[in-house]
Parts: sequence; C-alpha cells; structure tokens
Amino acid sequence: MSSDHHAHNPGFISKYVFSLDHKVIGVQYTVTSLIFLFFGFSLMMIMRWQLAYPGEAIPLVGGWLGKYLVDNNGVLLPEGYNSLGAMHGTIMVFLGVVPLAVGGFGNYVMPLQIGAPDMAFPKLNMASYWVYFAGGVTMLSSFFVPGGAANSGWTAYPPLSNIANTVGTYPFWNGQTIWLLAMVLLITSSLLGSVNFIVTIMHLRVKGLTMFRLPFFVWAQFVTSFLLLLAFPPLEAAGVLQLMDRVFDTSFFMPSGLVVSGVVQEYSGGGSPLLWQHLFWFLAHPEVYVLILPAIGIVGEIIANNTRRPLWGYKTLVYSVIFLGFMSFVVWAHHMFLTGMGTAMSTFFQTTTMIISIPSVVILTALLLSLWQASIRFTVPMLFALSFLPMFAIGGLTGLPLGLSASDIQLHDTYYVIGHFHYVVAPGTIMALLGGVYFWYPKVTGRKMSTLLGHLHFWPSFVFMNTVFFPMFMVGLAGVSRRLWDQTEYVQGIDVQGWVRMSSWGAWGLGLAQLPFIINFFFSAFAGKKVDANPWKATTLEWAAPSPPPHGNFAEVPVAYRGPYEYSVPNAKEDFHPQHIPDSQVV
Amino acid sequence: MIASSFWLPPDISEHGSQIDIIIKYLHWFMAILFVAWGSYFLYCLVRFRAGANPKATYGDAKAKPSKVAEIVVIVIEAALLVGFSIPVWAYYRSEPPTNADNPLTVRVVAQQFAWNIHYPGKDGVFGKTRPELVDEALNPIGLVDASEDPAAGDDYVSVNIFHAPKGRDILVRLSSKDVIHSFAVPLLRVKQDAVPGMEIPIWFKAEKTNEEAQEMMKRAFELPASAEGAEAERFIKENRLRVTMADYGSVPKGATLNAEHLKTLIAAGTTSVELAPGFPVNIQCAQLCGLGHYRMKGQMKIYEPEDFEAWYSSAGEVEVFDEDEFDDE
Repeated sequence: MSSDHHAHNPGFISKYVFSLDHKVIGVQYTVTSLIFLFFGFSLMMIMRWQLAYPGEAIPLVGGWLGKYLVDNNGVLLPEGYNSLGAMHGTIMVFLGVVPLAVGGFGNYVMPLQIGAPDMAFPKLNMASYWVYFAGGVTMLSSFFVPGGAANSGWTAYPPLSNIANTVGTYPFWNGQTIWLLAMVLLITSSLLGSVNFIVTIMHLRVKGLTMFRLPFFVWAQFVTSFLLLLAFPPLEAAGVLQLMDRVFDTSFFMPSGLVVSGVVQEYSGGGSPLLWQHLFWFLAHPEVYVLILPAIGIVGEIIANNTRRPLWGYKTLVYSVIFLGFMSFVVWAHHMFLTGMGTAMSTFFQTTTMIISIPSVVILTALLLSLWQASIRFTVPMLFALSFLPMFAIGGLTGLPLGLSASDIQLHDTYYVIGHFHYVVAPGTIMALLGGVYFWYPKVTGRKMSTLLGHLHFWPSFVFMNTVFFPMFMVGLAGVSRRLWDQTEYVQGIDVQGWVRMSSWGAWGLGLAQLPFIINFFFSAFAGKKVDANPWKATTLEWAAPSPPPHGNFAEVPVAYRGPYEYSVPNAKEDFHPQHIPDSQVV
Repeated sequence: MIASSFWLPPDISEHGSQIDIIIKYLHWFMAILFVAWGSYFLYCLVRFRAGANPKATYGDAKAKPSKVAEIVVIVIEAALLVGFSIPVWAYYRSEPPTNADNPLTVRVVAQQFAWNIHYPGKDGVFGKTRPELVDEALNPIGLVDASEDPAAGDDYVSVNIFHAPKGRDILVRLSSKDVIHSFAVPLLRVKQDAVPGMEIPIWFKAEKTNEEAQEMMKRAFELPASAEGAEAERFIKENRLRVTMADYGSVPKGATLNAEHLKTLIAAGTTSVELAPGFPVNIQCAQLCGLGHYRMKGQMKIYEPEDFEAWYSSAGEVEVFDEDEFDDE
C-alpha cells in the first residue's frame, strides 16, 4: 500500500517524473492530454482551410508541413487530408479526451473523493501513464515515416487500412502499422488504469463512505472503468489481428479475390472486413460513454456545488449511469446499419438505441431539475457546466435520426454524423472537462485561476463551438458525404460552401479562444490568488485535504458522516455540510 | 434546392418521402423538446440566480412534470420506431422486387475510385467474372470471354454512368473489387456500403427523369456585373457543374457558362439566368476509400422507359463517363 513511502524523501526524478503518487500522475496525465488535445485540434484547423478554400495554399503553416501532407505550393494533398483526419480523430479520442477525463481527473480527484491516501496499485498507475506516453510518442512518430501517418480514418476499416500506407519499408516502418502499435499501447494503458480504478473504489473508501454516499463523479468513473475493462480487449485483439494482416500477410479481414489498381492481391483470403467493424464498434460505442460519463460526473459535482442544493435524484442518476453503461454494450451495430443488415438485426439495434436514449434523458432532466429552487452562483466552472447541458442535449437529440435505421439511410456518413458526435464530445464533454480544470485547479495548486481570463475563455469558446458544429447539420442534411477532401466536386457541396466556411472560421476562432486558457493555466500556478483548502465551500472529501494535498493526501484520515451533496440543509450554521464533519459541529 | 424543407435535397424516389417524413417529424420533435428544455433552463438561470434567490431550498423539487415529459419522450420515440422506422426499413431491406415486377437488375462493382455498372444485356444473365482478367482500361470487372461463358457475350459495362429507366424497379447487386465503398444517391434516398467479398442487394424506383429532376432543382442566379474580374471568375467556378435551363439568345439551353457566354449575356442586358445541375442525380462514395474518395463520383442517367429501352438496345461494350469532357462542352 502506498502509505509506507511517506517516510523517505524521494529525489526529483521519482517525485515528479516516475512518481507513484496519484496526484502527480494525474497532473502528468492532465498536462499531456491537454497538449494532445490542442495538437489534435490544430490538425483540424489545417483541414478546415482546405474545406473552406479548396485547392488554395495553406497560409502561415503550409510551407512547414512536409511532402506527405502538402504539395510544393503548400496545398493540402488528398492523402494528407486523410492522414490529418485519421490522426485528428485518434488523437482527440485516445490521446486527448479519455486520458484527460479518466487518467487526469479520475486519477487526481477520485482517490481524494473517497478519502484514500493513493490508488490501490501505485506502480500500475505509473505504468499506465508511461505506457500511454509511449503510445502517444509512437503515434506522433508516424508523421515522420515514409508515406506519412495513417490515413484510413480513426476507424481504420480494412481492407483499406490493410492496403494503405504501403510505401517505404512496408510492412513495418509505415503509418498504419505504427498506428496499430500505438493503439495496442494506448489500450494497454487504459486497461491498467481501469483495473486500478475499480479496485481502488471498491477497497479504499474511508469509513462511513458507503457506495450510495459516493460523489456522483466517483460513480461515473466506476462505471467508466468497467466499460474500459470490458470493451477495450476486443479492440486490442482486433488491432493485433490487423497487425498480423499487414505484417505477416494473414487475412483475418481480407476476403478472397481483391483487385487493387488492376492487381490481384496475394492473400489467402476468406477473411471478413465486417468482423473488424464489429470488433471496433464493440469498443467504440462504449467508448462514447467513456468520453461522456466522466464529463457528466464533473458537471454533476459543479452543479451541486454552485446551485447550493443537493443534486436532484442522486440515486436515479446513479442507476441511470449504471444502466447506460450496461446498454452501451448492446448498441454497437447502429454504426453499421448500412453494411447489409437485415430487418431483424436493425430492429434489435435501433430498439436498444432508443432504449439507451432514455437514461440519457433522465440524466439530463435530473441535472436540469437540480437548478429548480437553487441559488445559482455563476462561477467560471459553473458556466462551463451549464453550457454542457444544452450542447449535450443537441448532441443527444441529433443521435435520434441516426439511431433510427430508416432516417440513417440519408444521414449516415454525412456531415450530420460529424455534427452529432462532436456536439456530444466537443461542446459537450470538452466543455465539461474544461469546467473541471477550473473547478479543481485550486485543489491542485492552492491557487485559483483568473476569473477574467476564464470569462475570456468561456464566452468565445461557447459561441465558436456552436459556429463550428451547428452548420454541419445543414451540410449533412444537404447530402454532403464526410471525409471529402473537396466537397465542391458536388453541386450540393458548392451550395453549402457558405456553411462550410462558417465552420472553418469558427474553428480558427475557437483556436484563438484557447489562448486565455493556456495563459491562465500556466500563470495561475504561481501568480493566481491563493485560496484555502475549500474555496468553493464544497461538501465532498477532496476539499477536506489541504491544497495542494501532501503525499498521502489527508492530515488525518477522514470519516464520512453523510451523503455527498448536503447543501442548504435547514437550520444549519452554513449552507454546506461537508461529508467529513460530524453532525455535532454543523447544526 | 435548399428551399425544400430541412435542407434536404429534392426526392425523386418512390420510397424517399417516407424517409423524409421521419427526418422531418424527428426534427420537429427535437426542436420542441429543445425549446421546452431550453426555456425551462433559461427561466431557472434567471429566477434562481444567487442574487434573486440567496437561499436554495433543500430537498427534491416536485418532479411530476419531468416524469410526464419523460413518458412523452418514450412514447414518441416508440411511435417513431415502431410506426415509421422499422416498417420503412423492412420495405427497404426485406421486400425485393419479384420477377412479376420486372425489375432492371444490374451489378454495381465499386473500386478505387469509380463505379462499374454491369448490365446483363438482352439475355438478362450476367456473364462470369474472374479477378485475374481485370484490366483497368478495357475490362474493369474481369468479365470472361463469350467463348467461356456465352452469357457474357452481350454484357455491357458502363463506368461512372448508371443508365436507368424511370418508373421501373431497379435491383442493384452491389459489391466491391478492393476496399469498402458506399453507394450513395442522395436524390434517390439510397445509401448502401459496398463490401468486398459480399454481394448486397438494394432496390429502388426513380420517379423522375434527369430532365424532370433538373426542373425541380433549377434556380435563378444573378449574373455578375462584369464578365471579367474576380466576381465573374467565381461565378464561373461556382456554376461549373450547372447548365442553363432555357435558351438565352446565343447561349443555348444546356450550356455550362464560360467567360464567353457571360460576355454575350451581359452585353445583351441579361441580369439573371436559370441554372440546374448538368447531372442532377449524383452517385457519391460515402465511405472513406482512399485518397480519391472525394472524386469517386458517378452519375445516374434516368430516362423515360422507352428511351431507356432505345439506349439499352444500342449500347456498346464499355462506356466511360468522364466529367471533364462534360465540363468542356
């Protein structure tokens, strides 16, 4: 257990680099994943130039991008566009949002919220971060290999992914193979983390902290960990199979008789391209909830704290999250309605998809009802949490026409899909995660982030998020396919070019809007206003620890006397009852 | 075309209106829910801000309206699912045209980055194909010689141009030579992945010819003030895929406007012209299939039934549609 390394005084390397402390690992995860988020977003800012101004040289950075991405004039190449698209998706999901939501927030906040001195397996925790880091470096290295980075989409559907990136010293030293190797590392990292989270939540809760006294965020992390644990292994297996296909000429995903560019492919054949899709989406649909649940957890914490009243329907929320987690395993083939699915299968998957929308509606409704008769403080984290609600609602609602197989016929693989899942993940999840950064920053550093810079970050981000993604619904309804290097090849693409440009300018605006955040994030660490251990007057256990918490977290082991959100209890001295303070001292 | 509701392109298929109805009902449902939630949300933000309500109320708010709302959501979703989506899908996926419907049956073989439309010819029987016979220029689907399979003798392959009759069931047997593509025809409300190693049937019926579709899609475009300069260049570029829908003096119907045309039209005092897409019924690839995904584009050419028969009986061996030629017309 971790408490036995209190005594010795570790050197710099083992304190800040190869640290076993969940808080250092959490900060490492947070900073690394924020950098990856901004990098992955930058790739998209480049792609949006080609979409807005097809065939025109990319300004500013065009000359720097190298021969795999741009031509001699600095115009993005179609294969370069595909590389950026594949890497954008991969980086945002696997190197950005998941490590931030789970590795960052989960690692830092969850043990504090359950009163634990550290994670159950500190060495596993450290290994998880460093395997993630290795996966990230491996992924980025693929930009520099012959042929450039993977260009078959973040979904990497074979046979395309098996025959792509076959220049240079194929089959080893190329983008798609490196993508697969990096994915194996990233998945391994998530698996190590998820085991650790589950054991920690089961075994290291302090006295009195029963499961139904856990903060909602801990519940969200708990369910998320099960999703990671159960959904990732199939993709890891699939990744290894695709690696075999590429490197050792097996044909798990290769059918017989393929003719590529007039050349008959020498595979033994007999494989199934759809097998990959099933394995991929068996992960990737639960993965959506891996992205969302921690965000919902963060929003729940911030809303309870800033409405100064208990979260509405705490148990309902917990049951909804559990049900959501369970259902997320039986909806995956709604991504595959158009792969040749019959009526029986599509009926099953669209029915489960409609069913999974119900707990989502319940969660959203509970969070909205928490505002009723509240006393709302519009702090910066609260602004982010509140903005999550309508934007997540748009993301959820636009899932309905995609989840019904009949309307999906027209909308599948169009920009409508891009608009839909980005509303869930970017204006939804990422806004919530940013809110979480502002919320727990005082705990991590002992200082508050600047409110002024926070507003300068929030308002433009809120406007630009919608500027980027809302037009995509119109573009998709008009029938423009996704992943087109130049949609003006089609008349309907030309007709919606105004919307496309609006998205692009929105994306560049959104990029600029992150500058106040970046400044705020780094400068507040030493120039921010110093605050006490509980600046938000919050109730959960992490606020019982000093800010920043020392190694081992708590000066004395806390005891939980009540549920997590006892705000505005009648006849109390103050409007919040921290979990760790006995009744005798608060009433 | 943007004028048709919810930004959807015009629908020229038999089954498409049912898909459109689901999309429209759903979006109204979504809009009502969003506005209802949004109004409540904004009301709370104003009414229960700390300034107006310094002390929050402990305990759960009465939640009866939310339960009602949730039940309404469930009922509407169930109705859309059972009443619309499942039956439409069943029709679309489970009831292929029978021989009594006399469908036109074609094979569509997708490849990087073209659509091969394989017609069986007069005998109505598809000739055999073999991968090793594929020749990208002369025999894109690897059709065998008539000496090996007599049925192949009168087969006909059209590249990127899908000739089809209006008002008759069309049964497509969809496959792919190399990677996964997706056969998407937005105006026909058709989309289906083409998966190598599988032959997937899809069927639809067009209810408009290309000319009728053009009539639905024609719009008036303001001409630029001058035939030269950036504005004129942009006009020509943005309308390079459209043709005139009427005779404008020396510029005939069906012309793609170039600088010369603009000069003539502006000199004659014309301020606006009616244009429609030259090939209104696009086939596009909807599944990432490689670097040429964006230009994997085909065209439907939908005829009156008798015109289709006339074309079919005179068709040659391999026809390649090249849009650049069309652009230069």
